[in-house]
Amino acid sequence: MAEWTLMDRCCDKCWHTVEYPCKHFIRCTVEGPLCHESAECRVKRKRRIEELKYGKYGIKIKVPISSCTLAAGAKEVYDAVSKEVLSSGLNADITISGCMGLCYLDPWIELSKKGLPTAIYVNVKPGDVPKILKEYLSGDLSNAFALRADPEGIYKNYKVPLLNDLTLWSNQVRFVSRGCGVLNPESIEDYIISNGFRGLDKILNMHPKNVIEFVKKSGLRGRGGAGFPTWMKWEIAQSQVSDIKYFIVNADEGDPGAFMNRLLAESDPYRVIEGMIIGAYAVGASKGYIFVRAEKPLMADRLSKAVEEIRKYGLLGRNILGSGFSFDIEVILSAGAFVCGEETALISAIEGRTRPRQRPPYPATRGLWDKPTVINNVETVAHVATVFQVGVEEFTKYGTEKSKGTKMFCVTGCVSRTGAYEVPIGMSLSKLVYDLAGGPPDGKKVKAVQIGGPSGGCVPSNLLNTPVDYESLQSAGAIMGSGGVVVIDEDSCMVDVAKFFTSFTLAESCGKCFTCRVGMKLLYDILKNITEGKGSEEDLELLNELSDVIIGSSLCALGGTAPNPIKSTLRYFRDEYVAHIKDRKCPAKVCPNLVEYWIDPAKCVGCGLCVKACPTNFITGERGKPHSIDPSKCIRCSQCFITCPQGAVIKR
Amino acid sequence: MVKLYINNKEVQVEAASTLLDAIVRAGFKVPTLCYLKDMFNEATCRVCIVELSGGRLVPSCSYPASEGLRVLTDSERVLKYRRAIVEMILASHKIKCQSCSMKGGYCQLLKLSKEFGVEGIPVCAECPLYGSECLLNLGIACLGPVTIAGCDAICTKERSPCIGCRGPASPDDVLEEGIKTFIKYKINIDEVVGISELFWGSNPLTQTIRKLFTNLHEGGRV
Ligand SMILES: Cc1cc2nc3c(=O)[nH]c(=O)nc-3n(C[C@H](O)[C@H](O)[C@H](O)COP(=O)(O)O)c2cc1C
Ligand code: SF4
Ligand code: SF4
Repeated sequence: MAEWTLMDRCCDKCWHTVEYPCKHFIRCTVEGPLCHESAECRVKRKRRIEELKYGKYGIKIKVPISSCTLAAGAKEVYDAVSKEVLSSGLNADITISGCMGLCYLDPWIELSKKGLPTAIYVNVKPGDVPKILKEYLSGDLSNAFALRADPEGIYKNYKVPLLNDLTLWSNQVRFVSRGCGVLNPESIEDYIISNGFRGLDKILNMHPKNVIEFVKKSGLRGRGGAGFPTWMKWEIAQSQVSDIKYFIVNADEGDPGAFMNRLLAESDPYRVIEGMIIGAYAVGASKGYIFVRAEKPLMADRLSKAVEEIRKYGLLGRNILGSGFSFDIEVILSAGAFVCGEETALISAIEGRTRPRQRPPYPATRGLWDKPTVINNVETVAHVATVFQVGVEEFTKYGTEKSKGTKMFCVTGCVSRTGAYEVPIGMSLSKLVYDLAGGPPDGKKVKAVQIGGPSGGCVPSNLLNTPVDYESLQSAGAIMGSGGVVVIDEDSCMVDVAKFFTSFTLAESCGKCFTCRVGMKLLYDILKNITEGKGSEEDLELLNELSDVIIGSSLCALGGTAPNPIKSTLRYFRDEYVAHIKDRKCPAKVCPNLVEYWIDPAKCVGCGLCVKACPTNFITGERGKPHSIDPSKCIRCSQCFITCPQGAVIKR
Repeated sequence: MVKLYINNKEVQVEAASTLLDAIVRAGFKVPTLCYLKDMFNEATCRVCIVELSGGRLVPSCSYPASEGLRVLTDSERVLKYRRAIVEMILASHKIKCQSCSMKGGYCQLLKLSKEFGVEGIPVCAECPLYGSECLLNLGIACLGPVTIAGCDAICTKERSPCIGCRGPASPDDVLEEGIKTFIKYKINIDEVVGISELFWGSNPLTQTIRKLFTNLHEGGRV
């Protein structure tokens, strides 16, 4: 027989079934039993909660299993842990968890034992597992990376920092991501004992209008990019008269470099679904879709499993907990074009068509199959669930006047601590880049920060005190987008950076609008010419004007924002463009056609390695004497530069 | 019915109308290319953009008319952007007017280009002479295939050959297609260049034409 879980009836006095549900079911699972008094049942539930928290035998080993940790080798670590536990006869529970967002530490494991602090070990290799286990269980924590928490302040003598003492943690506010890396994403019980479904429990007794009023009070704005007030979208949909309404969660996340939605949905899928049910209740939707990229199978899998599980216990389906409200969810796999994330294109994709369409009518009035439809981002709905669980004040105490709360950012590029960080909106970019992500490794300087995904803008390093909120970023020429932050260091050429992002949006343009399809190609060709040293001065004006036309007259926000990288680099790094055009030089020495390879005779020892490396054989010189490159024949493949052990080959 | 304002003129249209309907009702005009009434209004060409009072540019063929909307059909910005869009369309249009079936001035793109002064289309596009009537077919060296359109093809309408008075059409693909046409009709290139020198003088394009001719002819790509 399967194990008894918190979701099951405690005894025959409990009359809850999915068909005839008890209103108090959610609270009863943890605080129960509520309808009858029985010490035995109470103890049973208490014991189970204890078991979930600390493991059956008081020892718990947590291994994060998510796409990112798996890529870093978490599966092997998990196997090593299982093997070690089995072979040493240890009585311990091995569970999985999601990812806590600190990619550079993957894979990590978390160990807890009654009486010892919970410790996190990072960059674990399968071979280290036996040693780590032995050390930890014997009370030697010296090799741990950090300790989870110290409620009584008694762990000082372990000389291991608390997670909260680290700048990368203390500067964060883990609001929506509170469950990431903590909860078992495949266990509904884990979620329910951590305040899960309390939002749902609360709203089922509220009038939908009051639910929307509550969201309005929180000031929550959509986290998918545009920052549209969530309550407003819901109110419009709620006020429509229709036989059926839809609620869609946009889990497409096509931005390269952004992975907060995947992280959330893989690590805490129940939160996403709870938020979705709350939203559906508020607008009166009876059918929901989660639109997930097919390239993110684990995310789709976790969400589908969670939906199934929730449905099994009657929190989804017909007449949810006797409230008379029915709602069901289907997980849909997206084909995986960047533009599919755009809300009207997403609707088209579900309908089996392609491409964005004209707004208005907005989806909230006429969306999927011409019915009122709300589309929200994964993070938005997860925020909704959390706001209802913990109350509005917890949320509004963070953020700025116009944008409340916290937002997750994925910091990638030239930083030493790549990861997803949740911070209050309005934190300065420099804090995000330096205090959290650790700044560039090996002391390099930051040149610019590209924020907002492929169509975000580049903020130069002297403007890094810009707060990250919708309005400030806009005026700095960037956008919030989904929250991807790419740190660019001094080794990068900004024209090349602009060209890179332009090539992405060019390839992802759906091709419907002339301006976007052809305009982006023209922009790309101009940039390509400039990086090849074939640019002219009129090109700069042309780039600017063409960008304005594309922004102003394209249909969807892809075309409407795609020239941003070009516009912002032109605004802040015009001198680099000019250097490419006038001096035919690439200041960062990136663009192959504009650099010359030269051997410094003072450094060259004449070893001849570069001669072997050069594919065109145009490096000459006697053994032991300085060599030289024939610049007219050099194809700038950079092989000699990479090969030379003396660093004598110089780009100039 | 909804009431809206086109260039400050009040107009009433049915609730399900588009801005384009309202604009036509109000007696104004916006150019369209991809639009086909009741068949296609996906607004892919974007030339029918108009400006709303907030400054947003929207395609009039698909944007719904709504109460109180204020629309400008030819504000400075609209005209500037529309011109840029026509330029873009031409830039990506593989120009083969010399053998296009919309010859004789029926081409909508030609009309738009003329309206906005965007150049790149050869005289052939406006020429009413087809197939066997084409002057080249009669062995006459007509410069139509390589000359900028815009003159309404007044010479060829009178069956006298184009002498290139408006200057050479410069986009590469136009020239190339023009030269191919000459080759197809076995026109002597020296004669063509000779006539061109009358108006084009020392324009380096005459040399380009000669070079192209040699390349195309001897490269066997004809
Ligand atoms: C090209 C493009 C791609 C987009 N991709 C996504 C995406 O991957 N995920 C997402 O939530 N929103 C994406 N959006 C924004 C959506 O159109 C929409 O605004 C958002 O899902 C609304 O949710 P919110 O109100 O919760 O922010 C994209 C927009 C554009 C123009
Ligand atoms: S702006 Fe670009 S991506 Fe958007 S609909 Fe137009 S062509 Fe497609
Ligand atoms: S590899 Fe370096 S040191 Fe050796 S010959 Fe070439 S340039 Fe000189």
